[in-house]
Amino acid sequence: MEYLSTGKILIVDLETREVTEEELADDLVAGRIGGAGITKHLYEQHEERDPVVLGTGLLTGTLYPGSALGVVTAKSPVTGNLSHSPFTLDAAVELKYAGFDYVVIKGVSEKPAFLWIHDGIADISDAADVWGKDVWETTNAWRKTLGDDLIQTLLIGPAGESGSDFAQICVNYWASGDRFGLGKRFGQKRLKGIGLRGMGLFEIADAEGFVDRCLELLTQLKSGAASGKKGIGEIYAALGMPEVRDWLNSLVHRHSACFNTPFATNTYVYLDEDPKRLTEPETDDPGFKITELFGLLGLKKIGLSAEAACRLLKACARYGIDGAAVAELSEKADLKESGEIERSFASLTGSVTLPGKGIFSPWCPVGPIFSDFGLSRDASETEAWWERRQAVAYIFGIHPLFAVMSPELTEESMLEAVRLGTEMEIGRETLDGVIADLAG
Amino acid sequence: MRRVDMGIKIDALKCTACMACELVCGYHRDDAFALLSSCIVPYRARAKKDYFGVLLKEEEDLVIARPEGVEVRKIGAAEEESDSGKKADASAKPMLLREPCDLCEEMKYGPMCVKFCPVDAITLE
Repeated sequence: MEYLSTGKILIVDLETREVTEEELADDLVAGRIGGAGITKHLYEQHEERDPVVLGTGLLTGTLYPGSALGVVTAKSPVTGNLSHSPFTLDAAVELKYAGFDYVVIKGVSEKPAFLWIHDGIADISDAADVWGKDVWETTNAWRKTLGDDLIQTLLIGPAGESGSDFAQICVNYWASGDRFGLGKRFGQKRLKGIGLRGMGLFEIADAEGFVDRCLELLTQLKSGAASGKKGIGEIYAALGMPEVRDWLNSLVHRHSACFNTPFATNTYVYLDEDPKRLTEPETDDPGFKITELFGLLGLKKIGLSAEAACRLLKACARYGIDGAAVAELSEKADLKESGEIERSFASLTGSVTLPGKGIFSPWCPVGPIFSDFGLSRDASETEAWWERRQAVAYIFGIHPLFAVMSPELTEESMLEAVRLGTEMEIGRETLDGVIADLAG
Repeated sequence: MRRVDMGIKIDALKCTACMACELVCGYHRDDAFALLSSCIVPYRARAKKDYFGVLLKEEEDLVIARPEGVEVRKIGAAEEESDSGKKADASAKPMLLREPCDLCEEMKYGPMCVKFCPVDAITLE
């Protein structure tokens, strides 16, 4: 692949510690487009080694609005099925700029391992020094050792190491969109995590045409339904829960966006500093970045204060466990106090509610946000729309939450961007085929 | 509103650190998607503290648009310790080796960071 791509697939065998590269063939892209379309193909190709596959879309890391998505594809310990979870913030972009569109991780390492992908190079090194450390300690240690605070990390905490079904692959310090327990797969492979950093470059076939189209889309988005809004509180309000926004509001410091995503989906709360503070805090960890909706919602339902709920979500992120699962199972177990909930992390069991078909992580609410997308109130119509919308986002590399709030980002506009960016004639028929395969 | 030289205004409090400015500046420099050559960069090295803003390299100055205000440093002095005792910012990695802002001369849209900022944190005077 010459355009919008690094053209490379990284194959990592943790058992032999062998790292190889394969070319991303044009034929594969022509048939499977990218993102989850290709991660599923790679999973099936290496299925006998129980792989975890990471991937990006053709639009990931480009100027196409919302181009922040990376996908982790693996068998979920929660559903038992092949599932796709998102990773956003700046991690997916860093993977692509580090030199690889896809990473296949297969086998089991004899000892705890760290996979360091940087500037077209991949190394496996020992992670015994951080095995047993939490997510925050590990990211701190790797950034300090490697001397770069901008290294993006995909990693597990004690939950993943101990085989919890609710272990997440976290991003840097924060919860990810992994509601399928894929952190357990890292733990089973004794893979503590992955560091990502790179300064790559992608060519664009029709650069001016591509950029013109992106600017047209951005202009439309800036007068769209989400325009002028920021943060997780506005999402709750749009979903009919303005009281959650109001409950959280006094703690909110600032909102931040994932890479090139016009809506800031992340909200940082200050817990040990004045939320109105503008200067740099002296403490290293003044608060917590809320990157998902349902953990906070569940902890509010239990009756925790906003501050107690945020502190508990911070503990979840450090432990590397799905906050939404913690909230739901704690409610079922009638746990109402932060301390007892945190003490239950290691023994958390039970079944959790996962809307959708179990293919795409329901980290993203099943339904439109801000705009109605012309849908009726029929639940089955909404669910079918959501599955397709998620599939499209996961194929092209678009932020799943932004995809359900932006009708301007049509399937045709994504196909057009790919045509302009790659000179490949990928049409609706191919897209429909890939979506059908992901659903099957 | 924070005001800096060269006709570009940066409001760091509006910034969401999405990096669109950095990406489109890189496109202007390299005619491809790349981040290595950008002269405008959201600084993200202290994201764990939720402390972020925007760096802009001009001909002679490094503009640091912080949430609490804009600081303009002469190139060279920018590598000195800041008031907080920290380096200007790790995300400025090769900043001093990059070309200064030219307001996107020869680009049909004018300054691209202004056009592509989704929250209008970067505007023209």
